[in-house]
Amino acid sequence: MEAQELTREQLDSLAAEFRYVVTDAICRSGVGHIGGVMSLVEIVITLYYRIMKVKPEDPNWPERDRLVLSKGHAGPIVYTALAFKGFFPKDWLTTINRNGTRLPSHMDQILTPGVEITAGSLGQGLSCACGLALAAKLDGKKHRVFCIIGDGESDEGQIWEAALFAAHRKLDNLIVICDYNKMQIDGRTEEILDLEPLVEKWRAFGWETFEIDGHDWDAIYDTIQKADAVSGRPAMIIAHTVKGKGNRETEGLVDCHNVKIPDETTYQRLMCGLECKFDLPY
Amino acid sequence: MGNFHEMEMRVVYAQTLNELIERNPDVFCLEADLGKADASIPVVSERHPRNFINCGVQEANMIGIGAGLAREGKIPFCSTFTAFATRRCYDQITISVAYANNNVKIVGTSPGITQGPNGGTHMCFQDLAIMRAMPNMHIYSPADANELRAVMFYMAESRQPTYMQLVRLKMPKIFEDGCPFDPNRAKRLHEGGDVTLVATGFMTRFALDVARELEKENIAVDLLHYPSVKPFDAQALIQSVRKTGAVVTVENQNIVGGLGSAVCEVLSEQHPVRVKRLGIPDKFGEVADQDYLFDKHGFGPDHIARACRELSPSQL
Repeated sequence: MEAQELTREQLDSLAAEFRYVVTDAICRSGVGHIGGVMSLVEIVITLYYRIMKVKPEDPNWPERDRLVLSKGHAGPIVYTALAFKGFFPKDWLTTINRNGTRLPSHMDQILTPGVEITAGSLGQGLSCACGLALAAKLDGKKHRVFCIIGDGESDEGQIWEAALFAAHRKLDNLIVICDYNKMQIDGRTEEILDLEPLVEKWRAFGWETFEIDGHDWDAIYDTIQKADAVSGRPAMIIAHTVKGKGNRETEGLVDCHNVKIPDETTYQRLMCGLECKFDLPY
Repeated sequence: MGNFHEMEMRVVYAQTLNELIERNPDVFCLEADLGKADASIPVVSERHPRNFINCGVQEANMIGIGAGLAREGKIPFCSTFTAFATRRCYDQITISVAYANNNVKIVGTSPGITQGPNGGTHMCFQDLAIMRAMPNMHIYSPADANELRAVMFYMAESRQPTYMQLVRLKMPKIFEDGCPFDPNRAKRLHEGGDVTLVATGFMTRFALDVARELEKENIAVDLLHYPSVKPFDAQALIQSVRKTGAVVTVENQNIVGGLGSAVCEVLSEQHPVRVKRLGIPDKFGEVADQDYLFDKHGFGPDHIARACRELSPSQL
């Protein structure tokens, strides 16, 4: 399926609907990584609706663009995109993290159509993405490899091993987006383990590095296009985002990493915190 | 062709990788700055530079690169010293390889006491144990150059995440060129009814010497060599033990969790008999030569012979 052109209004509406559906889907399992899911909504929609070449009816189509969600705990937002694109029925979303599910909150390449790489143990997905990009280079293939990493995940040494490797091997078919929402489980990144100066770090590692507002449709799209045009080095897009974005109950709160939804009252409060209501697609 | 037993095992490894690459260009050799130690530099790097990827001193990243390559249909052989190939990147192997069932071949070189001068930091005595505890993982430990080749041919064809121990040294010939390898089959190297002796990898040659030596004392050793520690051929073991009623195991590893433990797990559930495990008795390594470590930890040829005598019927 070729990338589609959506108007700004359609994108806004889609983002609101994604937030509504993914919040409902996570709530059904009683607990979930709402914060880091909500910060990625615009980025994931841009990738699946405006950038990536994929065929939902043929998830292993050889020429597809690949996406690795290295911060694997944000699986539900990618599942929402995959379901809306038709990789699997939307009612699968109601099974997230339930017994026997094919949608575990951490990404699983065996269970879920459209998932390229299993991720959840932080830092590993970027290395695997380097392997995917290297394989494409070795075979002279033209598809691109996208990878989303977290800011907390960037504490891991393996991220920086992969950073060295990708630059050394000139993996210019690799575009990485860092979801820089400035929060990790135990608190603000600047308090737990400061990443700054983050842009300079990636530049020093030899990456073409961009810095954007990760909720700005035009900035995301235009910067990915620029990153795609980079030659001879991998590209990093540091996306400034807001954890828990788009829900009054979670936006910008440190404690929204993994939210418990133990009862109907909490569920109603979370759903009412969203901007708009939608009919659930299942 | 031929005469592989006259070469160091690491050279055989590298030359066999070249053969595999020439048969299938999707085979890759990955190193973490120990290519010279593994002989893949220059053997593979010069002949097949496209298929040689030196990741630098990045074992964790090498495993991830391997997983990504495997996801795209490549067959990466990722090699480094056993300590770094297994315990250093255990979670990367667990998640990116075994759990995701990516077809990565991990090669741990210089297992156990064969690390010699690198000492305790590099001597890994637990790779068989920790890799055995990982679902989806096959574990092989060939005993000579010809068996190494058979194991590598198998690995290149199977779609199975695999860990292989590679002794880098020259090893005496036990098997013929072209010998078979089946991960589900142990190999009986000496037939006898008095005591079952179980060995793998580096220790098999010593076990075979002992079995032959004990003929002179009229002790008939049933020697089973396990080129595959997982899957483990339980049938061959039980069949042997029905004859002998006692088992000695010997491994170049901690006796906790490795080959001896695999034997005990099978026998305690299916055919309980007395088992004596020889190997490293839950200690760390140190800078020392083979004979010193054999004596200190009690698993050299003399100790194997003594254990076999003690468990043979004339002594019981």
